[in-house]
Amino acid sequence: MKLTDTVSGAYVRITRFDSVNAFVRRRLSDLCIAEGSVVTLLQTLPFRGPCVIGAEGQSVAIRRSDADNIEVEAV
Amino acid sequence: MNRIGLIGNPNTGKTSLFNALTRSYAYIGNWSGVTVEKKVGQLINRQGSLTDLPGVYSLNPLSKDEGVTACYMLDEEPARVINVVDASQLERNLLLTLQLLEHGCEVVVALNMVDLAELRGIHVDAEKLSRDLGVRVVPVVARAGKGIDELLSSVSAPCAAASGDSESDDSGDTGDSIPVDYGPALERVIRETMKALPEGIKRKRWIAVQFLEGNEPVADWLRRRLPEAELLRLRELAEKVVRESGGSSCSEWIRQCRMARIKACAEACLRLERTAREPLSQRLDRLLTHRWLGIPIFVLLMFLTFKLTFDWVGVRISDALDGWMQGPAAEALNRALTYAGAGDFGKALIMDGIWAGVGGVIVFVPQIFILFFILSFIEDSGYMARIATVMDRLLEKAGLNGKAFISMIIGFGCNVPGVMAARTIDQPKERLIAILLTPLMSCSARLTVYSLFVGTFFKSHQAAIVLALYVMGIALALALAKLFAKWIAGDEPSVFVVELPPYRFPQWKTLSRSTWEKGKGFMRKAGTFILGGSVVIWLLSAMGPSGWGSDIRHSFLHMLGSWFAPLLSPLGFGSWQSASSLITGFFAKEVVVSTMNIIYAAPTEAGLGSELTRFLTPLQAFSFMAFTLLYVPCLATVGVIRKETGSARWTWFSVGYSLAIAYIVSLLIYRAGLWLGMQ
Repeated sequence: MKLTDTVSGAYVRITRFDSVNAFVRRRLSDLCIAEGSVVTLLQTLPFRGPCVIGAEGQSVAIRRSDADNIEVEAV
Repeated sequence: MNRIGLIGNPNTGKTSLFNALTRSYAYIGNWSGVTVEKKVGQLINRQGSLTDLPGVYSLNPLSKDEGVTACYMLDEEPARVINVVDASQLERNLLLTLQLLEHGCEVVVALNMVDLAELRGIHVDAEKLSRDLGVRVVPVVARAGKGIDELLSSVSAPCAAASGDSESDDSGDTGDSIPVDYGPALERVIRETMKALPEGIKRKRWIAVQFLEGNEPVADWLRRRLPEAELLRLRELAEKVVRESGGSSCSEWIRQCRMARIKACAEACLRLERTAREPLSQRLDRLLTHRWLGIPIFVLLMFLTFKLTFDWVGVRISDALDGWMQGPAAEALNRALTYAGAGDFGKALIMDGIWAGVGGVIVFVPQIFILFFILSFIEDSGYMARIATVMDRLLEKAGLNGKAFISMIIGFGCNVPGVMAARTIDQPKERLIAILLTPLMSCSARLTVYSLFVGTFFKSHQAAIVLALYVMGIALALALAKLFAKWIAGDEPSVFVVELPPYRFPQWKTLSRSTWEKGKGFMRKAGTFILGGSVVIWLLSAMGPSGWGSDIRHSFLHMLGSWFAPLLSPLGFGSWQSASSLITGFFAKEVVVSTMNIIYAAPTEAGLGSELTRFLTPLQAFSFMAFTLLYVPCLATVGVIRKETGSARWTWFSVGYSLAIAYIVSLLIYRAGLWLGMQ
């Protein structure tokens, strides 16, 4: 399932990450968000605006198109 | 000299720590990328100098400001660095720490914000961490000044390991001295790379690992020393052995090895307490980045800012100051000059030139300080990153990036730091567009012009009219961004990743200092540029081809203005007075006001305002304000655009396009107004 399909606030684990834009992927890895990380979708902005994701006590905003490419599974 | 580098992840409080450790004051904000250039300061105990570097997650840079830090580690070879680590994000911060350990310089870890971490149930055992990493770890709370003395004494001691780095070049592969083991296969490639490096190079292991990880500044540095083919072979070899070991890519493999090392370390020294309460920041974010309320709340906050600056507080103080400066203060000065025996020339120069020119700008200081205060509050609270997030969709549609909005908001204070803040934008072309558009943001200098004009022509709607000008600047920036993006950026994909730091309530001390630092620039300008400009303008207004003391209508200033005035008459302000104020206003936009004060050296009690109403209608005044907003970036901004783009062509472009836009917009406003039957 895609990260953007999950219910806001539910914790999920990232399973696939490779189709995310390389730059975004690298930046997320810098923030320790990579395959295997447990994340949660905190907020989505309207008109396919950015998504705020939470992981390990931090919040990061990324574009919707990148969040759509993050595959996750329920924890 | 004991030179120390200050390195850490973005937004971990490096700048607060820098200010606590040195005598100097640097600018603080709660958003990633406050420090875009390195800054050097003296330690308070005078035992060395400290270099504050842009925040990085890794020594392998992704953007230009991160490259500054990588190059510093490579070229300046600091003997010692203070690594600021955010205690509540230990694991992420240690990714950088491990790379610093590989570098081989002496590392002192400043474990910052331990208080906030404890509040969130995160307990870091500094002693165990110190033992695990083999470096000194000092817990600090930079904002409150806790632990600073201990940190100071531990970095001021003579460098114990000064010899360690140079002699241990080849010992990088001897067992326990390596911070991270990358597995037998990759370690063989690392050793091979180290052997290929020319003699006499220090920090071989660090250079080898960074190179194989894909660090471009390091690769460039190596290209000057080794043949390209050899470098290519080593990288390919590394990729090959990683894939044979089951990894996806060399950089990913290296990252995973580091993460494994960090996990082991965290297990030993990190204790987490589950706190049931949702962090305050997340609760606030549910409102401030709310799906539908996020943008309206932001617009409302901006409107309140203008209300405070123009209606409720700022204007009242400015008016009182103006009354005092034109009344009792001017009289007292006049009397003092007479008493001192000043001649007519001296008196006229001081009263009609300097006092009118500089005083006309100084009266707006209260408003400018209020605006700077609110901007500092926004920066320090952490709201800036949220603004970038809620505005991203709109800016993405315009071909930009939410981070460009940070540049724009900073640009409201002053365009110069606004242009510099564009460095945090990762994509070079988006960055260029943000640099070109930031000057359309209405800065505090232009505020003096608006204040004068709205106070005269639009008494009952001051905040609304000024807000309209600000919105116009933003709207034009967005429209032009779309155009520029097509033309400049082509198909380069736009990216947006922004960390939302925890909110914090700004400290009074930090706020007042940062307001003062920003406002000081304005005061300094008043004392230099505007003072000098006022003298020159007054001289030009008092001299003419026929000589000294001629009527202003035969002065050089009149001649200069008259040449350009016909060009401006389609816009509604074709008088020589308007033209000459705009020309001199290129040096600094406040000079527009100074020039008008000198030209209309108002003989009447009512001052400049009533003089202006004789020459301009409200519609013409609005057209003039729009033109002032847009026509050219001021001299200082042009300078910083030249520096940041590194291109004369783009600098000329920014001047040229803004002039064209100003002309078109003012023409449209004036003609549309006339057509609607306005005067």
